[in-house]
Amino acid sequence: MTFDVNDLLLSLPILILAVAGLVLMLLDAFSRTKLVGAAYQKSMPPETSEAYGVPLPGSRDFLMPVTVLSLVAVLVSLYWLIGQLPAESGAFLYKKMLVVDRFGLFVSGVCVVGALLGVMTVPAYLRSHQFEFGEYYPLVLFSLAGMVMLIMAGDLVTVFLGVETMSLGAYVLAGSWRRNLRSAEAAMKYFLVGAFVSAVLVYGIALIYGMTGTTVLSELRSRAPGMAAKPYFYFGWLLLLVSFLFKVAAVPFHMWAPDAYDGAPSPVTGFLMSGVKVAGFAGLLRLFAVTLGDPANALQSYTGWVHALYAIAALTMTVGNLGALRQDSIKRMLAYSSISHAGYLLLGVVAIPVVGDAARGPVLYYLAAYTLTVVGSMAVVSWQSGNERTGERLLLSDWVGMGQRQPAAALAMTVFLLSLGGFPPTAGFFGKFYVFRMALEKPELLPLVLIGIVNSVISVAYYLRVITSMYFRSPVPGAEPPPVPARSGALVGSVLMAALLVLGVGMFPDLLATLTRAATW
Amino acid sequence: MSMILPLLTFLPLVGVLICLAIPREEMALHRGVGLGTSLLTFAASSLCLRDFDPATMNHVVKWAWAPSFGIHFHLGVDGISIWLLLMTTFLMPVVLLSTLSAITDRVREFVITLLVLETGMIGAFLAIDLFVFYVFWEVMLIPMYILIGIWGGERRLYASIKFVIYTMVGSLLMLLAILYIYIQAHTATGEWSFAYETLRKLILTPREQLFCFAAFALAFCIKVPLFPLHTWLPDAHVEAPTAGSVLLASVLLKFGTYGLIRFAIPMFPHALADLGPYLQWLAVIGVVYGSLVAFAQPDVKKLIAYSSVAHMGFVVLGLLTLNPRGMNGAMYQMLAHGISTGGLFLCIGMIYERRHTRRLDEFGGIWKRMPVYGAILLIFTMASVGLPGLSGFVGEFLVILGTFSASKDAVAIPSLFVHAKLLAGLCALGVVLGAVYMLWLFQRMMLGPLTNPANKQLSDITLREGLVLAPMVLMAFWLGMYPATFLKDIDAGVGQTLTAFREKLAAGPATDQPRMLGAEAKPAAENPTAPAPSAE
Repeated sequence: MTFDVNDLLLSLPILILAVAGLVLMLLDAFSRTKLVGAAYQKSMPPETSEAYGVPLPGSRDFLMPVTVLSLVAVLVSLYWLIGQLPAESGAFLYKKMLVVDRFGLFVSGVCVVGALLGVMTVPAYLRSHQFEFGEYYPLVLFSLAGMVMLIMAGDLVTVFLGVETMSLGAYVLAGSWRRNLRSAEAAMKYFLVGAFVSAVLVYGIALIYGMTGTTVLSELRSRAPGMAAKPYFYFGWLLLLVSFLFKVAAVPFHMWAPDAYDGAPSPVTGFLMSGVKVAGFAGLLRLFAVTLGDPANALQSYTGWVHALYAIAALTMTVGNLGALRQDSIKRMLAYSSISHAGYLLLGVVAIPVVGDAARGPVLYYLAAYTLTVVGSMAVVSWQSGNERTGERLLLSDWVGMGQRQPAAALAMTVFLLSLGGFPPTAGFFGKFYVFRMALEKPELLPLVLIGIVNSVISVAYYLRVITSMYFRSPVPGAEPPPVPARSGALVGSVLMAALLVLGVGMFPDLLATLTRAATW
Repeated sequence: MSMILPLLTFLPLVGVLICLAIPREEMALHRGVGLGTSLLTFAASSLCLRDFDPATMNHVVKWAWAPSFGIHFHLGVDGISIWLLLMTTFLMPVVLLSTLSAITDRVREFVITLLVLETGMIGAFLAIDLFVFYVFWEVMLIPMYILIGIWGGERRLYASIKFVIYTMVGSLLMLLAILYIYIQAHTATGEWSFAYETLRKLILTPREQLFCFAAFALAFCIKVPLFPLHTWLPDAHVEAPTAGSVLLASVLLKFGTYGLIRFAIPMFPHALADLGPYLQWLAVIGVVYGSLVAFAQPDVKKLIAYSSVAHMGFVVLGLLTLNPRGMNGAMYQMLAHGISTGGLFLCIGMIYERRHTRRLDEFGGIWKRMPVYGAILLIFTMASVGLPGLSGFVGEFLVILGTFSASKDAVAIPSLFVHAKLLAGLCALGVVLGAVYMLWLFQRMMLGPLTNPANKQLSDITLREGLVLAPMVLMAFWLGMYPATFLKDIDAGVGQTLTAFREKLAAGPATDQPRMLGAEAKPAAENPTAPAPSAE
């Protein structure tokens, strides 16, 4: 077997993530584990108190800057890789197991930026809820390594490896708040569904391999037209489609999402809603839009997946929205809203085979805008989520009067909510605008756009409910005192950066749009 | 290239930045900054009148914003927008001055909200790129929502959400239509552009025009508001603080009719043949219905809100006459309504501050206690009724005249003028009804015996309140006495719009592919010269 050193260089982002993850794990293992103080143990109910070796809250905070530094290094390496690529095309590594192209680099960058902003909120959140979980940082990095692998997959085997690496980290992260039943429930649900989905995914891969004898995506792309009459081939792709729709929480495969998103610790929720979903969409794009999507490839008879996605996009937007409409918990509302945003993204995915590769730009733009907005809003949620005595307090009524109490947090949250709702001049508005604009080029997509418009109106109602709570309602006398916000410069910095990015990307859309157009596959 | 328009648009935002830099406790300072900024903006806006040619776009700027999408920061002002713009900047200091005593809670936020709203309003009047117009149109929405939601009355949450949802429904459909013509224009010209000058020339098939006009008209008619889309208005007006009510009635509603004359009517002339008659009837129903419902209101503010529905019905009807008289009247009525209704809301705000009620049956005989206030209220009432010599008369008269004479100089859309005489007659009935409920309002508030003991302590307006009302009174008289100041610009702008409208109508709808006006082989000169627009 020949081995090209150059391949190692081109897979630098994954290597940095994996190595940094290992280093962080060692740092966590060998840093002092303080025994829990008696006072702290007494404050916990007996059945949950742990006998020994719980790291004191705050004792692992130094891991956060290390993580941030390694993520910055990954970003630099992603940027450096752009220069290493031949113009207008990508490079295959490890016998086509990985493919490095501008599309992959862009989406990886989006995931990394999202994770970076999210990680900065972690120490404050852990401290205010009085639990420590040093493994948090290496797990984020491992999971990210899986995402990058999935995003850059050139082979169905890499797809599977990427999905698994990504998900294993995510399962543990969702359950990282061990004393919290909701967190455990979230992890359990997420894990059981995820394990099931993995089986579906493997089954699909096996069927495709059985029919074609290859798992290389570029090979499959050229062979697909000849397989038009083979039902098992179809069935294999159907299973793949289903497993990815589970990952991006599209209706009707979304049942796990509200519980998992709502129960997981808030910074993890941000990670699940941004990174995992974005990587899932990248996989969907790679497998379907790229491998099966070339309209020039005589696949007209072959676009069954487009019709399926068409209906699923409409359903996802609507069901997610209607779910969000009735929520009193801000986090759960955001969970449902994240489902509906997957619907808008699916509309963009559907547009690619219909409109052509030019429709990739809007999808990528939307992914980036959505990631920034979601990470920012979850950072505010982590910030204002209460403390260890109260647990997570994120009902609309808990945020009453926040505009007065915490003007900065309220203002930032307003920016994120307006972005989610699609008001100019935010990133979310331009994302929607861009997707709708692209979809309108073909009359076939007009019904989906109309559904999207109706849903946008509906969504305004529940996003504004939060603003209403924060600014318009006055606190009821005799109500519980409002949750105490976490104090942390890193968290505030993360919120500020996200808010500025959301506004900047919305006000100067050409910068990001040019990037997305250059992100060819 | 003059920089006046972008300067004007973003001057209020400079005030916002200054306010953010001042600690929130310095309430007087915030008010001062707000007042100073808005006065400065007014001064700057009056500079637009220099070297002003109402028949074309003046002081045009065109900066690349997102050039790969064909989005340009493209501003200009012509005879149609100039006086609406000036009215906006004129009202802003008045409104800010009027809230000195009414708003004592969260003053900094209040001033910031108003200034952001001003940027949105100015930008939307100036934008001649449809994307920029949409952005400013939406930017107006949130400050108004906040204004109602924070400083509003009892049912402010309900009213504020209702306001946003209603507006969003229309504006998103409008966005869809904007995108559609943007894409069709790209098909026809090969270039991406949101510029109004380009999109205006795009000729679509009748069916496409119908849908696009419907989307635009829906957005605008919700804003107007046209019967039966008006139900958000009474709620928003009643719950909004005085400043919100004034700006809502005087400026925000005008965006509906402004959008109709600026965008919807000239861009989709052939759709008017189908939808115009419905709009006309809805407008007239609005005039009569608004007047009747206003008559039944126990709440003064709600009464004036319904009177707005009636008055704006006049405006829509005038625009749909498609002749210079009616359209001039409609444009004039927009200004007049802004001044008279704004003045009425200011007056109601003042009495509300004293008595904390707006129920009509709480008042009566107040003139004895507040002679100056009574006189001013009478002026605005009469202006609203349309007494000659005051602002309301010119517009209403021109609209009715334009409608009545419409069938004579019909402009190739006969379906619009089948019932012109009937419409004009019903409109005249609306004027009578308007006189009835306004005079009834005045009588019940001001005249008769002073029975309610709570009213015996009322004091007349203060010097500050006088300063607030004086410019409004002045404008009410100016608009009524010397309309030429405004009509000479409006007339030229309307004439220009009508020329463009006729030109496009004459070119006929597209049959298959979208095409651009003037792009076909035959010269467009076959179009007979437009009749010289005349004011009266």
